[in-house]
Amino acid sequence: MKILFAMTAAAMTTAAQGTLFVGTWPRTIQVVDEAKQKVVDHIELQTGVSHSMQISDDYKTIYASTIEKNGIEVIDVATRKVTNAFVLDEGGKKMRFSAWAPDPSGKLIYMIMRPIEKKIDRFEVGKTQFAVVDLAQKKIVKFVDMPGGEDAAMGGGRGGSLRFSPDGKYLYRMGGTITIYDTSDFKVVDTIELSQPRFSGMQTVNLGQQLDGLQEPGMLVSLFNSSDPVIHKQIFGIARFDLDKRTFHFTPIGPAVPSMQGLYITPDRKTGYTVTTSGTPGNKRSEFWVIDVPTGKVMRTQEFDGRARYTFGMSSTGKDLYIYGAGYDIEVYDPATLKLRSTIDLEADQTTGMIVVPGK
Amino acid sequence: MKHLRAVNHKARRIQEQIENDVVALQGPPAAGQRPHVPMGCAIVFSPGWEVDSSGGTAGLCQPVERDLYDCYISCYWPAQVPDHMNNYPDWTAKCAAATKDWRNVDLVFP
Repeated sequence: MKILFAMTAAAMTTAAQGTLFVGTWPRTIQVVDEAKQKVVDHIELQTGVSHSMQISDDYKTIYASTIEKNGIEVIDVATRKVTNAFVLDEGGKKMRFSAWAPDPSGKLIYMIMRPIEKKIDRFEVGKTQFAVVDLAQKKIVKFVDMPGGEDAAMGGGRGGSLRFSPDGKYLYRMGGTITIYDTSDFKVVDTIELSQPRFSGMQTVNLGQQLDGLQEPGMLVSLFNSSDPVIHKQIFGIARFDLDKRTFHFTPIGPAVPSMQGLYITPDRKTGYTVTTSGTPGNKRSEFWVIDVPTGKVMRTQEFDGRARYTFGMSSTGKDLYIYGAGYDIEVYDPATLKLRSTIDLEADQTTGMIVVPGK
Repeated sequence: MKHLRAVNHKARRIQEQIENDVVALQGPPAAGQRPHVPMGCAIVFSPGWEVDSSGGTAGLCQPVERDLYDCYISCYWPAQVPDHMNNYPDWTAKCAAATKDWRNVDLVFP
């Protein structure tokens, strides 16, 4: 009976673990079982090397962009099959896109795009626009000029990041400012000028380049940098942005560091983890920071051997921390000790961030 | 770099631009001076220019093969890696993990 109980408990533990999807060279998405910490399946893409991935709010569909011909692929999470794949390039015309997001209906993808056409004697670089891709028609069905001019697209370096409100009515472009568009006509509904002191005691707030793992539906929780209007001391903190109500709440935590990756919060929403980097590239210091979310205090820091270039992630259960990217393996750290526990060999170099699908 | 010679106007202009203006530093740069990487990494057809943002090499991936494919994906480093997009799409068909399998990368003779 004890053995049976132990087996049942083990099975329950296993079932609670999730699945990782990581894009790798050359045209593969590796499926990793979090419990086994092994690659258990491969998804072969049809249009090229995966460059970025996004997942639907219900965790049932993964969208991947591919780089050679600016392709889009749709993957069913349950069957791990590609259900739709097409490219946006048209002959010598490259439809290069940066920021993109599937709408909540799963029928359209909105992106910020800059077409580049190869002419007989030159490349002609088009203007930056919004483009709407119909997944059923497998093509771009609408181009819209960026309201406020082309420069408005350049927030966040590559057009910023895009997010939808849960009802799909509003599109948020997260760059140096947060711009909110009505998806029916692309009119700017509101702009949160992060460079202006719209929030008490804050002069600048910049959204980090990397948006963090979603922790709450309809809520963007992320790390922000800020400086006060008097002595301009840089601080960082947790900001909660309600995508429905368009409200913004900032909780300062401490002095800002030169580089900080995304914030990942455990399922009980009590503990957050991030990674900071300081120093020059050849002599840099990487640290885990553990943050008590309710009080907004840094509880602990721990140096680790960071790679030259890496991405930080967390397992679906919050029981593993991942350092990955620039190579073929994922390093698994223990969140309690913040020490390296094991590595997951993907047998292929990683080309995208990680999608974490919670277990059932 | 002495084995490379500028042979046309454009190359001579590049030569003029980089003359006496290249530094490689492992430590932090002196105040007011930043390392200058000539023309960025994308169009310098000369392996060996791979430097990190501080002008040194210690910030590069170790081993460098870890970063091989990113030359193509996000850095777009066409001078240093074969043209995966048009002419040599299969140059890494037998090499998924460059650190382990770099011997399987195809030789390319442009």
